[in-house]
Amino acid sequence: MKAERDELGFDAPAPLGHPVRASLPENAPTGPAIGDRLPDFSLPDAFGQMVNFHEDRGVSKAALIFYRSAVW
Amino acid sequence: MRDAFAKFEAAGIKLYALSYDDQETLTEFAEKQGVQYTLLSDTDSRVIKQYGLLNEQLSKKDAFLYGIPYPGVYVCDENGTVVSKFFHDSYKKRESPEMLIDAALGRITIDETAPRADSSDEGIRISAVLHGGNGSLRQGIVRQLITTFDLPAGLHIYGDPVPQGLTPTEIKVEGPDGLVTLPMQAPPTAPLHLKALGIDLNVWSGTVSFATPLYPVGELVSECRPIDEREVELSVHVTFQACTDETCLLPQTRTLTLRVELEEVDVPNLPIHTGHGQREGHYDSVPAMKRLIWRKARNNPLRLLQFIWNRKRMERRSKR
Repeated sequence: MKAERDELGFDAPAPLGHPVRASLPENAPTGPAIGDRLPDFSLPDAFGQMVNFHEDRGVSKAALIFYRSAVW
Repeated sequence: MRDAFAKFEAAGIKLYALSYDDQETLTEFAEKQGVQYTLLSDTDSRVIKQYGLLNEQLSKKDAFLYGIPYPGVYVCDENGTVVSKFFHDSYKKRESPEMLIDAALGRITIDETAPRADSSDEGIRISAVLHGGNGSLRQGIVRQLITTFDLPAGLHIYGDPVPQGLTPTEIKVEGPDGLVTLPMQAPPTAPLHLKALGIDLNVWSGTVSFATPLYPVGELVSECRPIDEREVELSVHVTFQACTDETCLLPQTRTLTLRVELEEVDVPNLPIHTGHGQREGHYDSVPAMKRLIWRKARNNPLRLLQFIWNRKRMERRSKR
């Protein structure tokens, strides 16, 4: 497949217009604001252990990354 | 992220990465790719929705894609309060891990091995460093060109606005085509009131660093062809005027030049990615993809057929 360049100049191996390549809308929501406490949650980790975010973090600083997928 | 994990650990920052992938995928991803930080599996996008980040540009019609978030990162302090967050206009853009550490610590920590150039004249030292990653450029990954002044005691430089006759500090980063630079980030200036002249000035003194974020697009480092040049040159043009409270040196411009490497991005091992000369993953993504499609298609098989049909149509159009 021919690589097509998007309006921001990025190349990717999927055709333009494909939903995986959509740029984010200008007013895309970005969740909790600076100064907010991150909402707490529990999710399983890669080894099946339930992880409660704030409990696991304890008194550490943290970076919480939301990414699209490890598959594609 | 994988390469930078040790830096996060050393800085006492815990790292969590959340996606809608199933646990089996994450196990394999963690094992084969040597991921040491916590991967979280949000298969029904519950937390993605809780955070209000569900990508609503996609609908259930987009089959297995539905459920992904608008990608971004939060950095929080010891109390769990957001101190910084990074969201971009493209999923291709991402902060360098080092910038997350800087945000958490509230200061810039530069690697000793980062590419740098120095200039020293009239007692004023200036350095330019490419900060982030291993000092290399990768498509869409935002690095910072950090320009640091070491001003001798008594000297200061100016921030805008300046009265006529004085030159404000300006930093311009020049690189090859396909390098995008973003507006410079400067620390706050200190007010300086000169009684004798009756003027107010905005100044920096001592050691002061300016950050110019930058990233390459496909023209320079593509994800769809091998890199043709291993190294490129960045020129940093620094214009400033240094003064004491009484006298001024002449305005000057210094150019610092550094050579930086270009690097591939990591791509998952899927037929659409492979063969482009990029750094492919150590694990085979195909079974994970099949599981993902199956999980999403179970509720509505027709949607999947629609999706495949649309994709084929787009591919045909792109070949023409």
